[in-house]
Amino acid sequence: MPDSDQKTLLELAEALKLGENHFRDFFDWFEEIALRDGGTLRQVLERKTLSRILSDPRLGRSDKLKCLKEEMRRLRFPRLARIEQEIQEQIRDLKLGPQIQMNVPPGLEGGALTVQMRATHFQELRRLVAELDKALEKDGVKRIFALLSGEEGNAGL
Amino acid sequence: MQDFEFDELIVEAGSEQSPIFRNLKKAFPQVAVTFAEPLGSKGQALLNCRDPFGKRKKGLFLQRHKGDFLKKCPGSEGQVCCNYFVINFASNCPMDCSYCYLQEYLADNPALKVFSNVDDLIAEAERMLGQHRRFFFRIGTGEITDSLALDPYIGFSREVIPFFAEQPNVLLELKTKSDRVENLLSLDPKDRVVVSWSMNPQSVIDRDEHLTASLDERISAALRCQKAGYKLGFHFDPMIEYPGWEMDYRAMVERIFASVDERRIAWVSMGVLRNTPGLKRIMRERFPSTRLLTGEQVLCPDGKMRYFQPLRVEMYRKMLRWIRAASPTVFVYLCMESKEIWKQVFGFAPSCEKELGRQLANFGF
Repeated sequence: MPDSDQKTLLELAEALKLGENHFRDFFDWFEEIALRDGGTLRQVLERKTLSRILSDPRLGRSDKLKCLKEEMRRLRFPRLARIEQEIQEQIRDLKLGPQIQMNVPPGLEGGALTVQMRATHFQELRRLVAELDKALEKDGVKRIFALLSGEEGNAGL
Repeated sequence: MQDFEFDELIVEAGSEQSPIFRNLKKAFPQVAVTFAEPLGSKGQALLNCRDPFGKRKKGLFLQRHKGDFLKKCPGSEGQVCCNYFVINFASNCPMDCSYCYLQEYLADNPALKVFSNVDDLIAEAERMLGQHRRFFFRIGTGEITDSLALDPYIGFSREVIPFFAEQPNVLLELKTKSDRVENLLSLDPKDRVVVSWSMNPQSVIDRDEHLTASLDERISAALRCQKAGYKLGFHFDPMIEYPGWEMDYRAMVERIFASVDERRIAWVSMGVLRNTPGLKRIMRERFPSTRLLTGEQVLCPDGKMRYFQPLRVEMYRKMLRWIRAASPTVFVYLCMESKEIWKQVFGFAPSCEKELGRQLANFGF
């Protein structure tokens, strides 16, 4: 790694007080993005989306770290992030109440949609089942399964 | 494909009577032979050098194998297994693929070793095959080494193929990235031997399969084996995703099926690039510019990193479509994938490992 990149990484680690695990993740992702896109680590860090987070005065250290990590993950895994985002949008569009939760596994591995319901009595559960049933009539859930199962073109190939 | 050369042949006392030693001496008359006992200190010296995994290519160890030769393939936790057995006649490989799992698996024991006691191997196989005549075995020799890369020098195939050719309940698979099939051509496999190639487009071979045979050489070797009466296998594994992969893989599939007689193909497998986080660190150290490290891989429950599921399912589906267009009936299976992935790719999953093993044996036989 060139000296300038080492210096950049060190400055980032000091500014955000990175622990060993965070540092390793950042290091790997920076290096892999730089290798993939043909640039230096400094050039990756100077990207607008990242430099905006680092220079935002409203963010504290831990918020900066969280935002930076999310953005780095988006840069490192662009197609995965895009699918995850679309799934979250589809779930949001179903407008389910807070007692019904839909989740997909991290990294989408396993390809399953987990649906959780929380009811305290029988009538409430009946209402939630009906609400879910109504949501299933929309195309959103079908689209989620299509995204999870890698239907043609979804992964952006 | 270029010949391999060694600086030193290190022979454990007691191995000098073996046919493997005679073959090695004939192949490398100019190479210095050191007789040593035990081999441990030599192996340790290798570990102390920088890049021990790369360094080990310079010396070839010949020694007796002390444990069992035949083992059940360990597969991968939670994945569909194909009920395969492996024979380890050697350890490590003279070729140097940047993604090779042996870099991690054999990190503490990287010496390139060939085992001299082939007679023990045959006796063990004879016992097992004889005790379970109603079970049909598929046995491969390419788990911790390449089945054929060293064959011109050690002559292993000449020692074992005549034995396996006479067994009623086995298919022996010789899996390779080389084109060193010359010893095989004068033997009669009697439909009991499958020679299979791990296949990738030439661009992948150039970038990441160092010291292996070119795509042309692999196809040409497959043709020679087909003419000599062998069944063939093709493993599209590891499939690598990169810009333009579709064009390269499709062209490769079409070329293979246009070249060989599909009726002689016992099986075709597919599997994407997979590595553990530990292997990734080793790859980064040994092959810092490989693009394999930049794929969108995620950690799967079995501890291996693979392209994220929707991406790899899409890759498998496309490959399957190209394979089916070239050959509607050839047997295709997935290596180290879960039932969910099987269902998404094929629309079904084997009910158990015995079912997949039986199907493979049927197609192979």
